[in-house]
Amino acid sequence: MADSNVSYNPLPDGERPRPTRRRSIVLVLSGLLVVGFLVALLSDNGSIAPTNVIDNDNNNVNDNAQNGLNDVSSSSKDPERLRPFTSASSAGVSEKSNRRFGARTASYPWTNNMLSWQRTAFHFQPQKNWMNDPNGPVFYKGWYHLFYQYNPNGAIWGDIVWGHAVSKDLIHWYHLPLAMVADQWYDIMGVWTGSATILPDGKLMMLYTGSTNESVQVQNLAYPADPSDPLLIKWVKYPGNPVLVPPPGIGAKDFRDPTTAWLTSEGKWRIAIGSRINRTGITFVYDTKDFINYELLRGVLHGVPNTGMWECVDFYPVSTTGEHGLDTSHNGPGVKHVVKASMDDDRHDYYAIGTYHEKNVTWVPDNPEIDVGIGIRYDYGLFYASKTFYDQNKKRRVLWGWIGESDSEIADVKKGWASLQGIPRTVALDTKTGSNLLQWPVEEVDSLRLTSKEFKKIELKPGSVMPLDVGSATQLDIVAEFELDKAALEKTAESNVEFSCSSSEGSAERGALGPFGLLVLADDSLSEQTPVYFYIAKGKDGSLKTYFCTDQSRSSEANDVNKSKYGSFVPVLEGEKFSMRVLVDHSIVEGFAQGGRTTITSRVYPTKAIYGAARVFLFNNATGASVTSSLKAWQMNSAFIRPYPDDDDERHSGTEPTYEVRGSKTKYLGNLLTSSLLFLNARNNFL
Amino acid sequence: MKAILFVFPFVLAVAYFPISQCQNLPLIEQTCKQTPYYGLCVTLLKSDPRSKTAGDVQAIALIMVDIIKAKAGGALQHIEKLKQKYPALRVPLSACKDRFNAIIIGDVPQAVEALTKGDPKFAVDAANDAALEADSCERGFSGKSPITQMNKLNHDISIITASIVKTML
Repeated sequence: MADSNVSYNPLPDGERPRPTRRRSIVLVLSGLLVVGFLVALLSDNGSIAPTNVIDNDNNNVNDNAQNGLNDVSSSSKDPERLRPFTSASSAGVSEKSNRRFGARTASYPWTNNMLSWQRTAFHFQPQKNWMNDPNGPVFYKGWYHLFYQYNPNGAIWGDIVWGHAVSKDLIHWYHLPLAMVADQWYDIMGVWTGSATILPDGKLMMLYTGSTNESVQVQNLAYPADPSDPLLIKWVKYPGNPVLVPPPGIGAKDFRDPTTAWLTSEGKWRIAIGSRINRTGITFVYDTKDFINYELLRGVLHGVPNTGMWECVDFYPVSTTGEHGLDTSHNGPGVKHVVKASMDDDRHDYYAIGTYHEKNVTWVPDNPEIDVGIGIRYDYGLFYASKTFYDQNKKRRVLWGWIGESDSEIADVKKGWASLQGIPRTVALDTKTGSNLLQWPVEEVDSLRLTSKEFKKIELKPGSVMPLDVGSATQLDIVAEFELDKAALEKTAESNVEFSCSSSEGSAERGALGPFGLLVLADDSLSEQTPVYFYIAKGKDGSLKTYFCTDQSRSSEANDVNKSKYGSFVPVLEGEKFSMRVLVDHSIVEGFAQGGRTTITSRVYPTKAIYGAARVFLFNNATGASVTSSLKAWQMNSAFIRPYPDDDDERHSGTEPTYEVRGSKTKYLGNLLTSSLLFLNARNNFL
Repeated sequence: MKAILFVFPFVLAVAYFPISQCQNLPLIEQTCKQTPYYGLCVTLLKSDPRSKTAGDVQAIALIMVDIIKAKAGGALQHIEKLKQKYPALRVPLSACKDRFNAIIIGDVPQAVEALTKGDPKFAVDAANDAALEADSCERGFSGKSPITQMNKLNHDISIITASIVKTML
């Protein structure tokens, strides 16, 4: 690949911080910012360069463009990683092991530096150890609650209990004590996934799966010990648990993850629980008046053959007319219902849109060809065990998803933690297509935006890569638009080869009309890069089909990480530009295409493109079309996720804790850093 | 005469009771058929006395996880010896030590948890990872590995285990 000959503002501190020197680096940086702050304050025009750069000069841009990606041989034909998430084959494992040897000892690169960089700044994760499914998300007495599957003893799955955190805005979270532990015979082998239901009188009911002392999966009821405590710290398990055991003929380990309940027109509460009969995934439905006694309704709400066990079933209404969310009990005209399930077999979350018939307790998909388990996925990357809740505070439906690791155990053991929650997303019916949902990061994410850089109408000729001067590139929110010239779109020859992100050569596979998009978490030499891109294929009938992909094959020089390509088809309607939003937060990259019609979450573990060495590029690796792009990139603040202060007064008042200056200098200076950045941003905007 | 009467029931029992059931072969064979290394799978299980009384696939899977643990432990011991013998390979051998250690303290406990507590997919992950760790250990030698056979064995045993657990999903 050609060397970079571009100029850009070097970062003030180019060296990688070392753990032992991190504090002094923060001190130095803060010191510099304080000085800069004072200088800016005192000078007329501000000695700090304006941070909003409008680049209209195409010539300038083209000079900087370079051919970097037309080398197919550089694409790594890495072995099929032995990962449960990627393989669609029946066995799911590969016996092939492609042993590549190189000068770089990339098989064991993990330094503490690299590992500690991987922790995210604004995604929910506990301070350490293992996490998986989100549980019981709910808005209650002014606080958003998130519970989650947690192992208090290590960075692996095991000893599962319920972790707990609260937030006022779904972004700034405070860790609370464990909500429920495995202390009863009916959940001694695991306090597993469950959901919350708020009754009209405000009572909160939590149903969850317990794995009993004989590893039988049963459903249990729990509720707040003190309903007037907005933080819901203490929980009580109903003394008569379990309230549900596997029905006759159902396996003891095939009955879990009760949903939020919804009201029927008879005034009963109805819940769904996933299961399976042989290879057919199904969901049972129960009616209850008191959450204690249940009536198993005849048949199943729905089932799909050959999909295996349905975990984490979710069932909710969506409006066909508006973007607002609907309470889980809502029904009537202008409503469709979504059935979602997590497929135990292939580790993906699927949903389907259809019609719910309350009287005969069935749900029928609008299009059986894209039914649950065989059709559309919430996310085409790492995203599992997801769950929605109705946020009555802002009248929206919010989706949480578990994002696991795709590195190797040795790294998880070393770094002492594993897994994240995805950024919470609103979910609603796409009224333009009517056949898929739209997901978008909750609007509160925007409050993390700091300084921004804007680029307008950059022309990228075929085979070009353009660095974007956005400053630090490990915490970013990028919104980008792309256009291809109509002539190129029309004259491109048709192809009868069906494209697939995962079986392609990734961003190195050059087509006439793609790939083009962004390279995130890339280093200057592009030896590490994570492309998030569009690929347009022209079908036999001349119609254009757009794909949205993320390519991990070169995300890291380490070879014990997942290197597959993720992605899928994304509907692009007449007159629409190609648009994407990408959130970069250290080791997680989330891409949203066409307003959220197709989304991809990836975990990436670069060894070089970290800290100050990470960059962002625009690229166009198509052979037959130029691409024009406009984009805006924001630096993202940290969410400072931390434990809820121990102070008893604050806890009882339930108000948001004030930001305390703790003993640690680092935290104080982190705060100062942020305030300085915010002030500078505000001041520059004012200028 | 009395001796024959005395012995006769036993002869009958042996005649009517197929030897294969004594060794639990149908379960072992059926289970191993679902893996890419049938021969190795059968050999490993047959040579483990616990497989004689294994009642279901879960029990077989737990035996396999224990074999992973034993082989990884053996690998660690072997690696220690090799560090003395091949000081020039100290770096990749240390990396291998960490990898097999991760198998023992991470993958094996997770697999046992998942199988015994009833969520086997996490055991598939753990077994797949164990194979990956063995692979990565081998890669670190850039072609000059003194433990290629050992790594392959560990890899294959892990793949067998993952395949077996996958059938439980």
